[in-house]
Amino acid sequence: MSQVETNTIQNAVPVRIGFIPLIDCAPFVIAQEKGFFLDEGVNVELSKEASWASIRDKVTFNLLDGAHMLASMPIAASLGIGTIKTAMQTSFTVSHNGNGITIGNALYQQLQNLADSSTDIRTGVALKRLIDRRSSELAPLRFAIVYPYSSHNYQLRDWLSRAGIDSDKDVQIIVVPPVKMLDSLKKGDIDGYCVGEPWNSLAVEQGVGHMLVTGYEIWGSTPEKVFGVNTVWAEQNEAIHLAIIRALEKACIWVDEENNQPELLNLLSHPDYLNCTVEQLRYGFSAVKPKGQFDWPMEAYQRFSGVDVNKPLPSYALWIMAQMYRWEQLHTRVSLNDVAEQVYRQDLYCKALGLIEEEHIAWRLSANEERTWLESVASGKIGLHAEGILKGFK
Amino acid sequence: MPAPPARELTVMLVDNEPARAAIVEQAMIDSGYRVIRRLENAKNLTEAVTEFQPDMVIIDIESPDRDMLENMSRLTKDNPRPIVMFAEEDDSRHVEAAIRAGVSAYVVDGVNSGSVKALLQVAIARFREFQALRSELESVKSQLEDRKLIDKAKGLIMKHQQCDEPAAYQALRKLAMDRSQRMTDVARNIISVMELMGGSK
Repeated sequence: MSQVETNTIQNAVPVRIGFIPLIDCAPFVIAQEKGFFLDEGVNVELSKEASWASIRDKVTFNLLDGAHMLASMPIAASLGIGTIKTAMQTSFTVSHNGNGITIGNALYQQLQNLADSSTDIRTGVALKRLIDRRSSELAPLRFAIVYPYSSHNYQLRDWLSRAGIDSDKDVQIIVVPPVKMLDSLKKGDIDGYCVGEPWNSLAVEQGVGHMLVTGYEIWGSTPEKVFGVNTVWAEQNEAIHLAIIRALEKACIWVDEENNQPELLNLLSHPDYLNCTVEQLRYGFSAVKPKGQFDWPMEAYQRFSGVDVNKPLPSYALWIMAQMYRWEQLHTRVSLNDVAEQVYRQDLYCKALGLIEEEHIAWRLSANEERTWLESVASGKIGLHAEGILKGFK
Repeated sequence: MPAPPARELTVMLVDNEPARAAIVEQAMIDSGYRVIRRLENAKNLTEAVTEFQPDMVIIDIESPDRDMLENMSRLTKDNPRPIVMFAEEDDSRHVEAAIRAGVSAYVVDGVNSGSVKALLQVAIARFREFQALRSELESVKSQLEDRKLIDKAKGLIMKHQQCDEPAAYQALRKLAMDRSQRMTDVARNIISVMELMGGSK
């Protein structure tokens, strides 16, 4: 007897989950298509959304119960940054890593002329030299990100800042939807971008640009997308919420299994989901990357499964709030500990999967330390451990 | 401090549905607002906003280009910000109504909130009207297609069973009732089976 028959469906009205057609929506698609949601007794309706802003608005006003979100989004919403203050939370991280910074050929050539070594290009040293020598009458170099409250924005700014480049004054940072990145780079509308795969690899493959550095090399292993939900919904539907987390966990394991790749790419490429060719998706999952100037370290690849990936770490919420403070998005004084605890719910993750929750409060900042800690992150004195958030700060 | 001079609210409309955009634009003009720009695709959305400095941008909630506007208030303080940010100061019901109708909006700081609400009402009404029109069209279209399918299946049954039209129709109806399926689904099945057997030629 299959599990489908043993588990009765708990909800007559489907749970509405939004997603953006990007490769890291894979666990949602797989949980639906392989019946993992149904196995857990949950009826889910996936809704393809056109923008992060639309996801935020629809979860805020209950047109969606939850969604595939950028890891910063439930924090921004809970703080009321860029939106009406709405409590959102996550109990499940969907993916780690996968970002890269790519620049167009024209800029790359200029950097080559100013670099003593390839390291100068990768670290932004050559870019700093170029900016210092460029005529101030020229329009600033333009870099694109996908959303203001995203790892892409913060990683790009961090990378620029380490090279001594002021990400507000020395360059211009704009938002471009991921699917339009490559085209914008080709046309010269932008000089570079920070985005997830496959858009870095496709630029390299098509000879449009060069990927300089991966998100992993900037921040180590860090959360990229989460399953974010409206907190009111989560409190009223705890059993269903936890069942969804179990289904997503199974889906993440399935996605990471290499043997499933042909089926995965086939399902994702369907018009209901990413609506693209299987070839375009390959760089998102395969170990093979196009031969470029710089290689992807294995650790920089997107990962979906395992406690290390899926368990939400409140320390990462602290880190994101520090980024929001650093880049002048967070202006009000809030209790960082409280927000981190309310938004990144490791307790619910453990409850869903029947794991014993260790009394894990080492991440907490002491109350009178919060302000100085924010300042230290903003000035670059405190950073992430080279291997990522799991190892904490350094 | 002197009050800022009163001036009319300028609006930029971004919609890749030209018919709807035209309806919304006309409705706004009729209500006394000035639509300074209508963009069908948002290719140069950020440039257009910078150049024309509208007080308000109305954009289809399903437009993938919305995120481009999310960052704009950072570039210049005078740039429009997402309307959900203003929902807090006001009652949020009109924002919710807009989102439900598929309208999203970006508003510059300091614009009269009454005018914003009134303008939003106009957009919401026209978006809903357009939606109703579109679903009606779609249902008419699908009814037509259903009829075509049933006619084709009837023709195949008539040819195969060498019977007349009423008999073919009865056979189709009985099959649908026995299987508790829709007539169109049964018709579709018959057509694909016949095609498989080469009987539809």
